Amino acid sequence: MALLELDSVTVQFGGLTAVAGVSLSVEPGQVRAIIGPNGAGKTTLFNAITGHAALASGAIRFRDERIDRLAPDVVSAKGVRRTFQNGGLFGELTALENVLAGLHTQVPTGLFGVLCGLPPARAAERAATARARELLELMGIGHLADQPARALSGGQQRMVEIVRALATRPPLLLLDEPAVGLAPAVREQLLGVIRRLVREDGIAVVLIEHAIEFVMTVSDRIVVLNNGKVIADGTPADVPRNRHVLEAYLGH
Amino acid sequence: MTPGAAAVSVASSHARDRWVFLLLPLLVLPVPFLVNRYIQYVLNLILVYVLVGVGFNIVIGNLGQLAFANVALFGLGAYASGILVVHAGWPWWTTIIPAGLIGALAGILASLPALRRIRLFYLAIMTMAFGELLRWIYIRAEPLTNGSMGLAVPPPMLLGIRLQSDRSKFYVFLVLVVVMVLLTSRLLRSRFGRAFMAIRDNELAAAAMGIATDRYFVLAFAWSGFVVGVAGSMYTALVGHVTPEAFNLLELILHFAIVMVGGLASLAGSVIGAIVLTTTPELFRSFPGVQELMLSLLIIGVLLFLPRGLVSLLARRWPLFHERYYRE
Repeated sequence: MALLELDSVTVQFGGLTAVAGVSLSVEPGQVRAIIGPNGAGKTTLFNAITGHAALASGAIRFRDERIDRLAPDVVSAKGVRRTFQNGGLFGELTALENVLAGLHTQVPTGLFGVLCGLPPARAAERAATARARELLELMGIGHLADQPARALSGGQQRMVEIVRALATRPPLLLLDEPAVGLAPAVREQLLGVIRRLVREDGIAVVLIEHAIEFVMTVSDRIVVLNNGKVIADGTPADVPRNRHVLEAYLGH
Repeated sequence: MTPGAAAVSVASSHARDRWVFLLLPLLVLPVPFLVNRYIQYVLNLILVYVLVGVGFNIVIGNLGQLAFANVALFGLGAYASGILVVHAGWPWWTTIIPAGLIGALAGILASLPALRRIRLFYLAIMTMAFGELLRWIYIRAEPLTNGSMGLAVPPPMLLGIRLQSDRSKFYVFLVLVVVMVLLTSRLLRSRFGRAFMAIRDNELAAAAMGIATDRYFVLAFAWSGFVVGVAGSMYTALVGHVTPEAFNLLELILHFAIVMVGGLASLAGSVIGAIVLTTTPELFRSFPGVQELMLSLLIIGVLLFLPRGLVSLLARRWPLFHERYYRE
């Protein structure tokens, strides 16, 4: 059974068709890359999956359940989590508070308990803080916990954003250009993190990426989008030899 | 010691030091016995404006919305209390929560355009118009409000006791302020407060974290309205005479200045802003014309050199003034 299934997904903005009838599926524990030229509809496809963009037609199923009419927060609560292309951290909050915001749905406190300072609400908040610190430690960035997110370097922000997305242990993680602008060493580290997630936790990862060697190393399958359409879908060995892909990239 | 352990110890000492804030209200307890009636009145006014600032800061600081309905919420709270006392014969203390609830309701009303994606300048002008509309209503609803003459409200009653002196009002106000600030602090230092600020910093990412953004939008406005409504009720008890003029655009600028001079998105900043902006005009009361000048210079001067408000000056020396939005 596929974890995520896209069935002829079409997204339109006014007269422009950004995503045109894309079908693809993601299996549990799989790393899938989406590549393609700028404006191919990659991020829009992510937005469609996470409920940030409405579908003109088609269907999206997550664990056999339709999610294409759900609000982003509901999709997230079901276990589809993502990072953003230009950095989606809450800039004025610290790294720790960002991860805590990522744990939002897993802090079992009500308004009444919080306002009255009831012991269970306090305990739940403390437990969440401990968990958030632990998650940052596990990723080796515990020392950044109390830094405001806006003060972190690009690579550090990327790591915090990934920790934040993973905080709820989602079965599916969508990464929008995770490796772009990262130093080679940090890129290696990111690669290790993704591999560990897949191997140890069985998480499925879909990533949009331009860094082609990164994509080739990390992915099980690669989808190539051009003008909103899938022009190739195969293993890292097949895709570079595909005629449509060569045309799209080299313009023949 | 690992870096992580060091961070934990820093944070837990922060948690321990927060007790200092609970000592502050105790320190001011003897003050009414050391000051004259005029200074007592100013101190009471400061307490009213602390809640005005705390409430306003939630919407413009923590939620980050350019919503300027604050003077409307303040006026509604004041009139709600006044009308219930004068026309329904309720003792003042029983009108505090109704005034807060009216403020919360008006806050929710003010959040509706923002939910429909009317934001920034559009939201600013709409909410300001809301305040002016209410002022028109205060003037026209003469049977209830006594129009532009203003509503004279008898001295406040608390559990059968008449709060005749400003000193007795001070202690009642102090309790109200401590309770409201404590509740607000708890709210902000929970997943609710973090949700407000997540929405402020990146609304799309907030939703992607499972935060139902609309719900928290309404909650922030409602809580802000409640706090400011309670401030309105205190205002009525303090001045005993509620007029439409008290809730004009100049008053709104004062509210805005309290938040900005004190420090956006800072609870301590709201308190500092209320103290400084209530005191400054009073200091120059005997020099006509200088009041407005000093107030303007203060606002411009502080924001020129301390864009994050006076609280940033304190935070430099005492890390305690850095807000932490979690429990450890």
